[in-house]
Amino acid sequence: MTLPQTVPFLGWSWNDLLFLVLATALLGTALMVVLGRNIIRSGLWMIACFATLAGVYALLGTPLVAAAQVLVYIGAISVLILFAIMLTQTKGGPAALVFHHQAWAAAIAAVVLGTLLALVVTSTEWPLAGEYAATSVRAIAQLLFSDYVLPFEIVGVLLLAAVIGGVFLAKRDEPRDEPHGERPE
Amino acid sequence: MTVAELLAIAPLVFVIGLAIALVVVDMIRPHDDRLIGIVAVVGLVVGLEVVLLANGDGTGVFGGAYVRDRLTFFLDLVFLAIALLTILFAPDYLRPRGLPMAEFAATLLFAISGAMLIGGARDLLVLFLGLELLVLPGYMLAGYAKRDGLSTEGAIKYFLLGSFSSAIFLFGLAFTWGYTGSTRVADVAVALQGVTGPGLSAGLAIGLALLTSGVAFKIAAVPFHYWTPDAYQGSPTPVTGYLSVGPKVAAFALILRLFVEALAPLKADWVDAIVILAAITMTLGNLVALTQDNIKRMLAYSSIAHTGYMLVGLAAFAGAPAGSPAAQAGLEGLLFYAAAYTFMNLGAFAVVTALQGRTGVTSQIATFAGLGRRAPLAGVLMTLFLLSLTGIPPTAGFFAKAYVILAAVQAGGWVSVLAVVAVLNAAAAAFYYLRVVVWMYMREAPDDAQPLTDSWPMKAGLAAAALGTVLFGLVPGVIIPTAQAAAQALLP
Repeated sequence: MTLPQTVPFLGWSWNDLLFLVLATALLGTALMVVLGRNIIRSGLWMIACFATLAGVYALLGTPLVAAAQVLVYIGAISVLILFAIMLTQTKGGPAALVFHHQAWAAAIAAVVLGTLLALVVTSTEWPLAGEYAATSVRAIAQLLFSDYVLPFEIVGVLLLAAVIGGVFLAKRDEPRDEPHGERPE
Repeated sequence: MTVAELLAIAPLVFVIGLAIALVVVDMIRPHDDRLIGIVAVVGLVVGLEVVLLANGDGTGVFGGAYVRDRLTFFLDLVFLAIALLTILFAPDYLRPRGLPMAEFAATLLFAISGAMLIGGARDLLVLFLGLELLVLPGYMLAGYAKRDGLSTEGAIKYFLLGSFSSAIFLFGLAFTWGYTGSTRVADVAVALQGVTGPGLSAGLAIGLALLTSGVAFKIAAVPFHYWTPDAYQGSPTPVTGYLSVGPKVAAFALILRLFVEALAPLKADWVDAIVILAAITMTLGNLVALTQDNIKRMLAYSSIAHTGYMLVGLAAFAGAPAGSPAAQAGLEGLLFYAAAYTFMNLGAFAVVTALQGRTGVTSQIATFAGLGRRAPLAGVLMTLFLLSLTGIPPTAGFFAKAYVILAAVQAGGWVSVLAVVAVLNAAAAAFYYLRVVVWMYMREAPDDAQPLTDSWPMKAGLAAAALGTVLFGLVPGVIIPTAQAAAQALLP
């Protein structure tokens, strides 16, 4: 059995329908992340959000990015965040969110900006738009280690700098034998 | 990687290697702050030598993603000078407070390597990565005194607003990429040829708006400056000195690579925004600085005002017809200003640091009372730096202001109005800078005034800052040819 070329009754391409479904799910789950009051639930919704985003990547013809999204964001980062929440959460924390004083102003600004961006994106002719270009993993790998090798290596330096900074800020102050930081002669 | 590619990024790799070496030295001999200081200073001096040796011919490497031209050369020297001065005067603040030197120096050098990456980047992706490598260590440095509530508060505000502004900037890059179809600066400039004018497409216009907002955050231009006073006041004083110069000059490097190189075909579209930003940044920065009693907060608002003066140079470039002398003079003025500002502003922060060499000294302007008699040399130096920041001849600050203002006059049109605004602002700024001089020479020192610190790195740092401030003022010819060559490298 083969599918018809376009979605029955609507006349859209299947890719467009899939994108619509995924994008709606993406926005919905993202809203659940920020609107919820229970931080564990926010964390779980975030996994759903990452998963739909991986779907969008796959749809856009970049299976490598989709796989990385699943492995790195869902597999590693989400689990890490959930663990961090469970290890640090205290019962005495504030029930209401601290930064919600300007929620209405923020909501209005977000709606205005969202409408503006939607208008802009639909009214512009994008030279790259049109095709769902499929990129092979081999082509990406070759680019990554030739023309884009500099950014690739710099990401490593960035992570190293972040690790050193993070460790310094997080570690307990060790008692210094001598306050002036000089060794006794 | 070919040999040419390795040579082009040699200074960058050297600074990253030095940062890693500092961490390793600290691992082998823990808490030896003096050794760390020596390794860092010697390393940076060698780094200056590497920059001089690795002088490239301006051909792009990595498929055009990075270039070592005269602009990269000029900026690398400025960034290394910033790192050197900061590391020279930092120990006097860190040591009495029990803050380690190794992590400070290593993190600072990582940030400087990000700045150097921006200086030579000719790819939107590399520019963004350089920006992140620049600011991420900066957030951590702002919170370096982690037992101090103000430091942590400033760091959190800096981190949150900085992350948002990075996201806004990245969004703008995505729009630009979507429109031009390339991340290479050269290709973007080619793709944008001839699209300027009232028919600028909405997608490109909003991309430009997002990029301008993101960059304005990073240089702390009004009205995107709200993070600045808290981050500057809360940070440990040497960090404040670094933050007021390093990320600012690097963000201007980003503007040079992005707006002047990639988006130059659209300059008629962004010049108005820059003119307005420059005018309100100068004016508001100076007006608010007038009311400050905390020296770090005052210098924070003063640094906002200096952002405005540097933007005048950019506006002169954008407002003048392409290829005219005024366009080049604007860029030269901007570069000269960045170099002069590095020495005079870090010099002023070095004196503030020397005053705070013992714990418990606040940043109130009253701590300067009677400094002219208590410590005559420090008083004279602070007066020199403040006069230079005001723009009194024959200091570096005077030539820097004169350069950008003359370029704005030459550019004509709306931009020449900026020249008037800049002159008026320089006059207003004299009030708050000279107020510190009045405190130093006309008020009595309190009886419990602490003596200043007196270490050799601090003396060397003050001497270097003073030398730069005087030299660029008396003999600006030592640096102008380098700045001219750098500006020429930017223009087709």
